Amino acid sequence: MPERPARSFPGRPVADRLSLSMRASHLLVVLLVVAGLALAALGSALGDTFYLRLATEALIYAGLALSVDILLGYTGLLSLGQALYFGIGAYVSALTLMAVPSFWLALLAASGATLVAALIGGVIANRVRGVYFALITFGLAQVVAKVVYNTRELGASDGMIGVPVVEVPLGPFHVSTGSAPGFLLVALALLVLLYAVSAYLLDTPFGRVLIALKANERRVAFLGYSTWRARMAAYVLAALVAGLSGALYPMLRGFVSPELLYFQVSGNAVITVVVGGVGTLVGPIYGAILLTVLKSVIGSWTEHQLIVIGVLFMASVLFLPQGLIGLLRPRLARWLGRAEPPPAKAAEAEARP
Amino acid sequence: MNRTLLLGAAAALALGGWTAAAQAADPIKIGVDTPLSGTYTPIGQQVRWGLELAAKEINAAGGIAGRQVELVFEDSEANPSVAVQKAEKLYQVDNVDFLTGTVNSGATLAVGQVADRNKKLLATSVSFADSITGAKCSPNVFRVNAKAGQQSAALAVWLKQQKADAKVFYLGPDYEMGRSTVAAFKEAAEGVGAKTAGEVFAPLDTKDYTQYFGQIRQARPDVIYTSVAGNDTVRLFTQMQDFGLLDNVQVVGASGTVTSQNIKAIGSAANGYVTGVGYSPLIDTPANKTFVKAFNAAYKTDPDLYGADSYGLLFAYKKAVEAAGSTDTDAVRKALEGLSWDTPQGKKTIRAGDHQAVTDMYVVQVKDGKFVVADSIEGDKAIGPDACTRF
Amino acid sequence: MADLVSYLQFVLAPQVVNGLALGMAVVLVALGLTIIFGLLDVINMSHGEFYAVGAFIALALGWLGLSFWLLLFLVPLLMIPFGVLTERLLIRRVYDGPDRHVTTLLLTFGLSLIIEELLSIVFGPNTQRPATPLRGAVELAGVYMPVYRLFLIGIGVVVILAVAWIVYRTRLGAMVRAAAYDRDMAGSLGVPVSLVYSGTFAFGLMLAGLAGVLLAPIYSVFPTMGRDFILIAFTVVIVGGMGSIWGAVVAGLALTQVQALAALVISPVWTDPIVFGVMVLCLMFRPQGLFGRLGHA
Repeated sequence: MPERPARSFPGRPVADRLSLSMRASHLLVVLLVVAGLALAALGSALGDTFYLRLATEALIYAGLALSVDILLGYTGLLSLGQALYFGIGAYVSALTLMAVPSFWLALLAASGATLVAALIGGVIANRVRGVYFALITFGLAQVVAKVVYNTRELGASDGMIGVPVVEVPLGPFHVSTGSAPGFLLVALALLVLLYAVSAYLLDTPFGRVLIALKANERRVAFLGYSTWRARMAAYVLAALVAGLSGALYPMLRGFVSPELLYFQVSGNAVITVVVGGVGTLVGPIYGAILLTVLKSVIGSWTEHQLIVIGVLFMASVLFLPQGLIGLLRPRLARWLGRAEPPPAKAAEAEARP
Repeated sequence: MNRTLLLGAAAALALGGWTAAAQAADPIKIGVDTPLSGTYTPIGQQVRWGLELAAKEINAAGGIAGRQVELVFEDSEANPSVAVQKAEKLYQVDNVDFLTGTVNSGATLAVGQVADRNKKLLATSVSFADSITGAKCSPNVFRVNAKAGQQSAALAVWLKQQKADAKVFYLGPDYEMGRSTVAAFKEAAEGVGAKTAGEVFAPLDTKDYTQYFGQIRQARPDVIYTSVAGNDTVRLFTQMQDFGLLDNVQVVGASGTVTSQNIKAIGSAANGYVTGVGYSPLIDTPANKTFVKAFNAAYKTDPDLYGADSYGLLFAYKKAVEAAGSTDTDAVRKALEGLSWDTPQGKKTIRAGDHQAVTDMYVVQVKDGKFVVADSIEGDKAIGPDACTRF
Repeated sequence: MADLVSYLQFVLAPQVVNGLALGMAVVLVALGLTIIFGLLDVINMSHGEFYAVGAFIALALGWLGLSFWLLLFLVPLLMIPFGVLTERLLIRRVYDGPDRHVTTLLLTFGLSLIIEELLSIVFGPNTQRPATPLRGAVELAGVYMPVYRLFLIGIGVVVILAVAWIVYRTRLGAMVRAAAYDRDMAGSLGVPVSLVYSGTFAFGLMLAGLAGVLLAPIYSVFPTMGRDFILIAFTVVIVGGMGSIWGAVVAGLALTQVQALAALVISPVWTDPIVFGVMVLCLMFRPQGLFGRLGHA
């Protein structure tokens, strides 16, 4: 299986091609940050809360999509149950906030729980590849969702309401999770952080092992790398990204319900990644925003929006191997390549080893 | 640095808060956050029809306090996460003061919280979890349909009259709602002298109920109580019929178990089924006959309890707004508390203590695909104590 | 003692027999899935939705007055164009691309969303049910069994034998197995591989459609019915071995028995986790499944 970005730049050394595409991704993330700041400012000025909170939700689901892309784009493994970790993050965050209203504690507890769950889930799922991996992750999430649905202590089918609005202490500043523009920026900051950490890790030798694994697993094992450990690390990283994104959900909406763990959520994340662009990290983020807008727009004139989204999704699988972002990013990368040596950019500084 | 400054500024602005945009003169907009796709689509359809018919009639008669009524629909997809997002849209973008249409109790509870935080009102005409006007009650949430407790109470009264010391087998869907409805009816039934022959809980979306039939057969019950719903009812009832379990056994259950949506698919297996419910299209009053006729003329089908309760809700809102003289949340809340109004199924009164409507309850029995009224119980006798402590 | 006899007679025996009927239903749904998986190496995520399509076609034609016995043959035939079109227009396009497993899975997943939504637009969201074609029941030593379920078990056996005969004993089946083992080799030996692929996909959908006709009277018909069998059918395919007819039969019947008997001692909610647990254990200790892969065994 060839590494996909390679097809856009025949004849160039691999590392060069990869970092150029990644640099293009970073640039698109910077663009997102600018857009997010502008939106927050505009929303504040106009006194809007709905659209700001909808945008926040899009960013939270973008985190989930990012998590799916880490697996699908870098290890070639399709998870059909990433909502499992999203849901665990959300439930643990909600439970923590209801006991102790502390933002950081909630994030810490959510990542702790996700880590434990990911280690268990990883041991099970990483024994297999391909469709088997997809089916195992699907089954794992189904089973846990069912258990949550039937556990009275977790609110069972009704879920739990009453997650309090908390203050987010950020050094000298405080932002309330109830403030629409403030919390949008918190979600944006977390997403960019998750993106940066993922992009950094995937650019280290560890990431290169993953990419090599995807291309030819046996050869990597001959070279002396532990393929199991690399895969496991990617799995845990992806789960943590999903769990931390999920942890923000109850802060935004004030409740959790078992639907957060359903296949619908996992499936949506997969659609988002494919439409946005597999293996680009930034594609899923824009994909989540696009799908949220699309659902909001189509949803107001038909309740059969799934058909539109289904067709868009299938068209992406068939005709856009790198999703919608694939239409844009290669151009950006070529442009960056021409402008060599590239000027040091703020966002990419952290992403380079 | 710039970013942190802006962050602080944005937060300060938001915390300073703005009051909602000035209220428009007319029309009065009412938000309907109901499932138009997904599992509960058929219920959402009845809700929609009931509300649309009421709005048409109210508008034809001059509207609410001279203002026309406009319904704003959003599809909740029967998913609380979506319902909450749509509720925020309705409250904030469409500026509705009053919201209805939530179906599953999880969505009603979650949207109720959105109503609290937006200082707006929500009324459900479908959800029947006791907690909505009980342990998890909210000052901004009302319920105009009968809750599970009212249904059980009515059914228990009937059971006492028919088979005083019946052996009852309970078969519930294995999730919170199913377990609490079974527990509620079991308590009511044992209160009137019924004995428990056994109980089993089947997972939601069970394909094949035959795996529980052995236990039922062995228990030899006189009465089977069930609170499954939707597709599950179709499977359970037809499979019980195929296996001869319906012979010599009286099946009773929750109001949502057999409805106008699934009764056709259940077919003759539904015959004889008895439930306690707040509505039947066969209620023999002039008001109901007029309503059923109008509903049939508009939508070519009978209203069911969801359609009727949603229809009635709009008239409660009309009366409250006219009494309050505005659509202001506090004023309307006050007017709704203790409000009595006329609905197709008779007079309903909203209890001020927990915002639960007190409504006459009916015991209906399925005969040839119709819900025939077998008995009725006065609202006061079925309502039960006020368990709400939040306001 | 009387209690024990009564338990065996009224609880255990019916449980085993009812489990057998359910098992046959699962095998019918899983057969098509495993054949497509075994030959084309494609997990058809929309298999459940094609099962629903079969049930809805049967329902609609039933309204027009066609008899159930005719539909039993007609509906599978009507599934052929769906199968050929899906294979030619979707599967084939990505078959030789990178990540075949994932892309075909994604495509069929997208297809399942669209089919489900279309069914809901065309037929409405409500549950419907065709009349049971065979009424009545027989009782033997306290075990009560509707005639239609006995018929289902019987026809299940016939279908399984017929499918096994086609796959393992005919020239056609030999071509299919050859193509599954090595496509290029089979092609060079004169097997019309392209036709075999379309044909196999269509054959899988025919079985899904047949399952739809047969199970509609028992499990009723509604747009989301395709999700019902998904988890257990996939489990059956994995546990039985991809493409293995006998594997699907043994795994399908065994897993439903495990479920049925487990439901007697633990809360039925936990029967799904048990099935899933079996799948995980199987993948850990015998990833090729009980009977190995079609054409490779």
